[in-house]
Amino acid sequence: MANVLLIEPDAVLARTYMQALQHAGHTVACAHDAQGAISASDETQPDIVVLELQMATHNGIEFLHEFRSYPEWQQIPVLVNTNIPPTTMIAAKAVLARDLGVVQCLYKPRTSLEQLLRVVKQQVNAA
Amino acid sequence: MKQLVTTAIILSRTDYGEADRILNLLTPEYGKLTLMARGVRRVKSKLAGGIELFSVSEITFIKGRGEVGTLVSTRLIKHYERIVGDLDRTMLGYELIKQLHKVTEDEPEPEYFEVLQDAFEALNDKTVTIQLIRFWFAAQLLRMSGHTPNLQTDDHGEKLAADRLYEFGSDTMSFMYSPDHGRFDATHIKFLRLAFAGNTAIVLAHVQGSERILDDVQPLLQHLTQLAY
Repeated sequence: MANVLLIEPDAVLARTYMQALQHAGHTVACAHDAQGAISASDETQPDIVVLELQMATHNGIEFLHEFRSYPEWQQIPVLVNTNIPPTTMIAAKAVLARDLGVVQCLYKPRTSLEQLLRVVKQQVNAA
Repeated sequence: MKQLVTTAIILSRTDYGEADRILNLLTPEYGKLTLMARGVRRVKSKLAGGIELFSVSEITFIKGRGEVGTLVSTRLIKHYERIVGDLDRTMLGYELIKQLHKVTEDEPEPEYFEVLQDAFEALNDKTVTIQLIRFWFAAQLLRMSGHTPNLQTDDHGEKLAADRLYEFGSDTMSFMYSPDHGRFDATHIKFLRLAFAGNTAIVLAHVQGSERILDDVQPLLQHLTQLAY
């Protein structure tokens, strides 16, 4: 099981995801914004990051650039789980994968908890 | 050692040791600077005011004996907060910074600072499309590196005429009169003149029909960029 860093600005969703991930045996740290996520990364050394791109103040792209600028965090898989529709993510997905090490992008409204847990498990095993 | 003050835009940040960050900055007076920012790692990292991306700050620094100076303090002058409110604009912002970092030498002309600042202004203004900003920025990099196409006369040295159609010739970097196959008319050439004259992207966005013109001239600019770099 893995150390998961969950970056989710919506408090209700964050609690739901956190419970599901913990129930699946993972240790979960949760951050609601980009700066909190950098601090949480420092404290918990995550094995995988689950990230919502849309956040107040600093968005997920900014977080990713900052996160990847530290050598010890460059290989950690990042899974994007976002409310941004796939149709508007076509160009962004390629850049996220190529430049920022995003292993998969999930569309939150169409991703069940079971799917999310399955993808987290796959990516942790593949890392 | 003497402390110096200037305005700056962050181009990149890298990790150094346990608590420090090395910043690459673009300034109007000193070109590119590499400065050590001590004790700003992570908790007070770039997300903290003063050393944020997409912002202009006043910095105080000490020039080092080697290549790396020391950042003493920063004061945020302007943060372009609407850029980071839009993911596509954020991504383009990072891309433009990367491009500029790549094409500029250690001591670039002060104008590069102005161009990057203008790019932030345009990215911050949602009425200016991403396509236009990308086009405008590429035109500025071409202009400043001496790759402006001839927008005054054709390949025979004759003044470009308002009622003629032209094709572009890469060999001469000029337009060629082509009544049957010419894709460029006076509207396109005027638009290119505006872009290569150093006007801002916001000015270009006000040109009537700019989106249609952009669709037509974009491939030409991509071609010029490929030839130049």
